[in-house]
Amino acid sequence: MKLLRERFYLASGYLAGLCIVLIMLIILAQIVGRMLGFIIPSAEDFSGYCLAAATFFGLAYTFRSGGHIRVTLLVHHLPPAVSKILELVVLLLALLLTTFMTYYTFHLVWESYIFEEVSYGYIPIPIWIPQVPLGLGALSLNLAVLDDLIALLRGRETSYKQHEDELNLEEV
Amino acid sequence: MDSTLLSIVLALSMLAILAAGLWVSLSLLAIAILGLYLSGNDQIGLLFATSSWGASTSWSLTALPMFIWMGEILFRTKLSEDLFKGLSPWLGGVPGKLLHVNILSCGIFAAVSGSSAATAATIGRMTLPELKAQGYSDRMAVGTLAGSGTLGLLIPPSIILIVYGVAAEVSIARLFIAGALPGLLLVTLFMGYTAVWALLNKDELPADQGSRISLAEKLYSLKKLVPIVGLILFVLGSIYGGFTTPTEAAALGVFGALILALVTGSLSRESFKESLLGAVRSSCMIGLILVAAHFLTLSMGFLGIPRELAQWIGSMSLDTFELLLYLTVLFVILGCFLDGISVVVLTVAVVLPLIQQANIDLIWFGIYIVLVVELSQITPPVGFNLFVIQSLTGKDILYVARAAIPFFMLILLAIILISWFPQIVTYLPQTMSRG
Repeated sequence: MKLLRERFYLASGYLAGLCIVLIMLIILAQIVGRMLGFIIPSAEDFSGYCLAAATFFGLAYTFRSGGHIRVTLLVHHLPPAVSKILELVVLLLALLLTTFMTYYTFHLVWESYIFEEVSYGYIPIPIWIPQVPLGLGALSLNLAVLDDLIALLRGRETSYKQHEDELNLEEV
Repeated sequence: MDSTLLSIVLALSMLAILAAGLWVSLSLLAIAILGLYLSGNDQIGLLFATSSWGASTSWSLTALPMFIWMGEILFRTKLSEDLFKGLSPWLGGVPGKLLHVNILSCGIFAAVSGSSAATAATIGRMTLPELKAQGYSDRMAVGTLAGSGTLGLLIPPSIILIVYGVAAEVSIARLFIAGALPGLLLVTLFMGYTAVWALLNKDELPADQGSRISLAEKLYSLKKLVPIVGLILFVLGSIYGGFTTPTEAAALGVFGALILALVTGSLSRESFKESLLGAVRSSCMIGLILVAAHFLTLSMGFLGIPRELAQWIGSMSLDTFELLLYLTVLFVILGCFLDGISVVVLTVAVVLPLIQQANIDLIWFGIYIVLVVELSQITPPVGFNLFVIQSLTGKDILYVARAAIPFFMLILLAIILISWFPQIVTYLPQTMSRG
């Protein structure tokens, strides 16, 4: 079970990476196209969609690897008992906020679908399709926060904390 | 609620949750929600969703993951070693010798990486042991690294300038080009100081062995610098010449970096995957902060806080100099606790109307804010570069901070110079083909 979850988070990271590769390919295609005199239709739109997908798909993976920055000055210098309570409050607040994100990003997808909105670009596509990654990404972050909240309640160390501590050693 | 009271409540809540350790992006989101809620807005969720969609699909922002990835690829090549070997033969005759390698390698690496922590870490890992082995003053070795590590923020392509450009809606191409001369100015100041220091403190440098390096050897060493300098000139040149947008230049840069890594044999399946995941981590972190900051800007706009603040400051009739002085102090204090990108997104939402009202050029202000953030990178307690160098050398953070003081003063001098002669910043962007 634990392994499966780890795989899910890592996969979400690679999915985001794939979107970054796609951005590069789209832009390169656009440059080549301009030199050879053809146009890649809606290239700017599509790379924008890939950017949104890359950002949101990567949320959970980045969260677990301690990539989202925060001020740890206080947490690291309080007595362990107090810092654990503070950490709990922070995670609860994060759960609340990410649930808000998940709910409303899916709400956006739903509304675009119902009102049949299409993109303005050269190739009109139903706008809900590129909006789905926002919802899925927010949901994955939501789950990752919940995962760590449960871990903390069970007395285990949170995933991001392990990486926050090793961050300096790893980078250097 | 009265808007002065509201601003105070929001500012205090922000400080409280940031200090408690809530992630910066989520803190921005929370304050934006709180602000809209307190003002009685009932469309909060909808506003959030549409503003997130708009902010995360912005075309100019696509340059961000590209430049980050480019840096991640080059970070995993033998680049820092090549820089060291390519530069050292040339600097043997300059007072301070290898100390300048620290500064110049940082300058060049900064031009491809855009992150100051990565710059300090990569170059420092290579140069610090070598400098120590040859008997250079520890303090100067650490100081030059701490100071010039911050060049990553200013020398284009800089991540923080992309963030500022997107937040302030200023041309990123122009910002990049505007950063070039101030970057050179800083390098010159750092090298000048080091040379003067070396002349005054001969006893803290290794004795001259008197061995001359032949011109042939010098020229041969240049070969190591060609690929990387070529890549930089290509990326910046195509932006300056107007052949490509920054995003296109970034994609070409990634492509070039991949080829460079392939040719030098440092591209493997493993390093490719790692560079990509590294790029995901950084760009996703910044991306979420920008999404939240965009929403916060929207929320602040609804509350009218920036407008009222601008009116209030306007009523005090400060001149430009005083305004900049107060802002500098504010940014340095904020930068003591937050990283550079957070400082920029947090303040741009509120401060920009002030800047426009005072008729300050937004491109110039972008460069100015980056220089101020550079200052805060080497001030304790949360100077990020200090942390990196602390873990590189094992010296405690206060030692590193003390060693960095001369360079702190030099960056301050650069800020004064660009305020006195704004042309240092504005000359190149004005002569650009297009933006």
